[in-house]
Amino acid sequence: MLQFITAILTSLSAGAIYALMSTALVLVWRSTRVINFAQAGQAVLTTYIGYEVTVRTGSYWYGLIAAILSGALIGATIDRFFMRPIFKRIKSGPIVMIAPVVATLGLLGIIQAIIGFIWGLSYQTLAAPVSTDGYKISGTVIAFSPFNSMVLISVTITMVLLTILFQKTNIGLALRASAYSPEIAKLSGIKVDAVRTLGWAIAGAAGGLAGMLYIPNSYLYPNGMDVLLVFGFIAAVIGGLDSLFGAVAGAMILGFAINFVATYVSYKLVFPTAFVILILVLLVKPGGLFSSSKGRKD
Amino acid sequence: MHKISANRKRLLTFILLGWALILIGDRIGELRQYQGAFVAMYALAIASIILLTGYSGQLSLGHSALMAVGAYAGALSINNLKLNPVIALIVAALVAGIFGLILGIAAARLSGPYLAGTTLALAISLPTIANQFTILGGEQGILFDIGAPPARFGEDFSQYKWFFWISSLAALIMIWMISNLMHSKFGRVFRALRDNQTAAQLSGINIGRQKAVAFGLSAGVAGLAGGLLVMLISGVSPSAFPLSLSFSLLTGAVVTGVYDLKGVMLGGLVLVAIPEIADSIGSRVGDSDGFTMALPGFLVSALLILAVLFLPNGPGKLLKKKM
Amino acid sequence: MKRISIVSAVAVAGAMVLSTLPAQAADPGVTSTEIKLGLSSPQTGTAALSYGKLPKAMKAYFDYINANGGVYGRKIKLIARDDKYLPTQAATQTTNLVLNDKVFALVGALGTATHTKAYAAAQLAKNNVPDLFVNTGFSGFDNKTKYPTTFLVLPSYAMEAKIIAKFIADTPTLKPQASFLIAQDDEFGIDGVNGFKLGGHTFTKAPTLYPQGGLSSALAEGALTALSAAPGKPVLVLMGTTDTTATLLKAAEKLSLTTKFNWIVGSVGGDANTLLALGVKSTTIDGVMAASFFPDAKDTSDEYVSQFMKINEKYNPGVSFDNVVLQAMNSAMLTVQALRAAGKNLTRAGLIKAIEDKGSTFASAGLAPLNYSTTSRVGYNGYWFGQLNAKGELLPYITGKRTLYTTDSTSTSAPVLSTYERKPIPKNGIPTN
Repeated sequence: MLQFITAILTSLSAGAIYALMSTALVLVWRSTRVINFAQAGQAVLTTYIGYEVTVRTGSYWYGLIAAILSGALIGATIDRFFMRPIFKRIKSGPIVMIAPVVATLGLLGIIQAIIGFIWGLSYQTLAAPVSTDGYKISGTVIAFSPFNSMVLISVTITMVLLTILFQKTNIGLALRASAYSPEIAKLSGIKVDAVRTLGWAIAGAAGGLAGMLYIPNSYLYPNGMDVLLVFGFIAAVIGGLDSLFGAVAGAMILGFAINFVATYVSYKLVFPTAFVILILVLLVKPGGLFSSSKGRKD
Repeated sequence: MHKISANRKRLLTFILLGWALILIGDRIGELRQYQGAFVAMYALAIASIILLTGYSGQLSLGHSALMAVGAYAGALSINNLKLNPVIALIVAALVAGIFGLILGIAAARLSGPYLAGTTLALAISLPTIANQFTILGGEQGILFDIGAPPARFGEDFSQYKWFFWISSLAALIMIWMISNLMHSKFGRVFRALRDNQTAAQLSGINIGRQKAVAFGLSAGVAGLAGGLLVMLISGVSPSAFPLSLSFSLLTGAVVTGVYDLKGVMLGGLVLVAIPEIADSIGSRVGDSDGFTMALPGFLVSALLILAVLFLPNGPGKLLKKKM
Repeated sequence: MKRISIVSAVAVAGAMVLSTLPAQAADPGVTSTEIKLGLSSPQTGTAALSYGKLPKAMKAYFDYINANGGVYGRKIKLIARDDKYLPTQAATQTTNLVLNDKVFALVGALGTATHTKAYAAAQLAKNNVPDLFVNTGFSGFDNKTKYPTTFLVLPSYAMEAKIIAKFIADTPTLKPQASFLIAQDDEFGIDGVNGFKLGGHTFTKAPTLYPQGGLSSALAEGALTALSAAPGKPVLVLMGTTDTTATLLKAAEKLSLTTKFNWIVGSVGGDANTLLALGVKSTTIDGVMAASFFPDAKDTSDEYVSQFMKINEKYNPGVSFDNVVLQAMNSAMLTVQALRAAGKNLTRAGLIKAIEDKGSTFASAGLAPLNYSTTSRVGYNGYWFGQLNAKGELLPYITGKRTLYTTDSTSTSAPVLSTYERKPIPKNGIPTN
């Protein structure tokens, strides 16, 4: 029984972090139709910045704010000064699909190299602001700590805020319109470029938050979030790249699948499970589970 | 008449290229022969990406896994089935091709990023899968011995030169075959898939089937490249095909120009040369660990970004303009 | 006709001149002033967490020797290349070392999948390139036919597992307990799994294997929860790299399971310094058991440790002295003794023969004997058992009494108590053999 409860709790924790990454990827996809592989690099970089602030000020919370703000700033900068020139130069042909993806791959490499230059390649640790010891329930310690609660609450709040932003505000409408149909949006007077940059900024902030919530349970080094990137991407694809709700749902599905298969079958099957889940979902629904547009070909 | 002579021209070009390579192979030292063999292998692997992405418009992030499938098939046929190493290479291509075809059928309905995600998941699952079956040799892997060069070539004919010959000729022949294919009706169908799926469908092309075929062909080429890779390192292990290999191939394809097979050798050269250059810069400059170790990655990524920014269609077009 | 006879006369004369030159002109990497050695190891990646300090530590020792006359006047130059723990990189980097850098010999190569490929690719056998003191626990390298120029130094993971198995069986507080193994699904864990079988130890449950890079804290918590249901104080062996060992120990902290288990950590992932640096609490480390064949890197009363520490401070400043640094300097010292034993007329064949003949008598920090001979390429073959304290020092399990066992990698015969006495360190750590 404890095994089962543990599996559920650890799945929730894992899924929450995946959700932040997949959300960031979906945000960028929706606004730019680009898979941003640099997301992992941005998130790690902003976490390093948060780490530095935490070390210097002694407070994790200042570090968290720094990470979120710098994440937004870096995200916006990348879109404005990197992605936009690329889109200007590449207007036609299948290179349109591949070039931005490859560019973000290159960006990932550069960010990781820069982190290596500045901070070196050794592993750092970041202490959580609240206890990481599991709660004690009727004598047994469970695999859920105050820090896990903090993570879940933060992710939930973030998701709620983002949903409100997208569904209930004008900016959200502009974001959605610019992604779906840039020409028409422009005609209605929406500054598509600025809106897109905003999308990247929000995604960058989400990545920074993900890093600060993930690293206390792992280690901080340039490649520290690579695995998260892969799982975040798979989660986003499972959920349907168009849907924020799908991003969260996909992340939870993936988190549960991995943790349950590991617990009850074999720990060796972590990565193959991700692959199998993905294939199963896409065989049934090629556009992901919660994709809104059925027949869109990209 | 025109078509035939274009094909003949191509054949002639490739034969001349083959002669040139053999001559070059005689003149360069052992280290360059070994590196040359890698260049040819990477060039072939990049060609498989170009076939898939540049010609049929599908994006794969998991070609390292396809190379691995070919590599294991080749190694197993030498060790367990006791086949001739050259036959083993053909087996590598066939097995990978069939695997790719099946994968392609499953993935035919997937567009852009969904296909990319699937291939990514495949690439990261591969090491685990390889470790599950003891016949695959676990972490130590399986030996792949192409054998010594035939005695009739004489004592001076080094193993590295033999590698160079096999790798270059295999790559050359395969790329010639792909080139022919791309200039035929097949090629036009693929390009139609890439440029406008709706129009292609309207003209009666079975999208799903053609995408799967393209995937299968690309996988077969990648499988051969995988077989060549393990020939060069004398054995296959799961760790020989990390995810970073997929990304490197994509880099090479973009730097080469993803539409055109002409530049694949350049792409292969880049993949071999950049780490070398970075190593030598690093050892000259740095005492700072972080700097020297992060440098190769930095250079490759910077090159990739520059290529995307300034040469999105590949250096081929640039050269053409100058001439 | 005249031309041909002149040519042949010159050729004959040339051959006569060449044949009188000392044989060492034939082997690359040696001049009258320098010996070039090559090292291909992971300088980046998770394996670098365990072995990243290797190149600089070896170089530090060589620098020290160079400052004290070198080897018969020749200075040692170490060329270290990063292979990222990838077989393809190892193959190309090792080939580079041999063909490009033209090193005389290789030292300290690392990894099974990496080095088996590198050995073949760089044609080390054909060129008779000595492959000294490889840093891997793969017993397959002890094979004169397949790897004629290779000498191991580390005991294999199978040896380690056999000795741990014996230790569990011999210790009254451990033997009756349930026992479990969590191991990495690669060379850092699998050989250990086999070793336990050879040692006749059956775990209560089949070993839990995780993929490298795939053990998140969530999964670690799940794994430990599953095992916590066992009664008593089960033995829990961890065989993996340092980061995953730390992840598991921290998961135990979270679940208040640190005192639930009798922890035993494998040598690769058990460096206390690194574990503490990765965030494991010192109260958790306290009491964890581990096997070692070296003195503890913090034991300043040990003459080898203190000497190496001094060298490290001067020639490798800024790098903390830990078990990897100790291991690296020890290998470097063995290398110097091997070069000296090969004589002033330094050849590759001579070096290999010198280790075969005299290697077992070299001075080293290891507490187990070195087993080099004309038939054996095995280095150390034994371990002693210890327990970490809160400071991260490994002390003999039975206070004051360090008992060392030796064994092999392939048979089921039980480890044997060893009476081996380590040779004293040469004066100032400078070999004079």
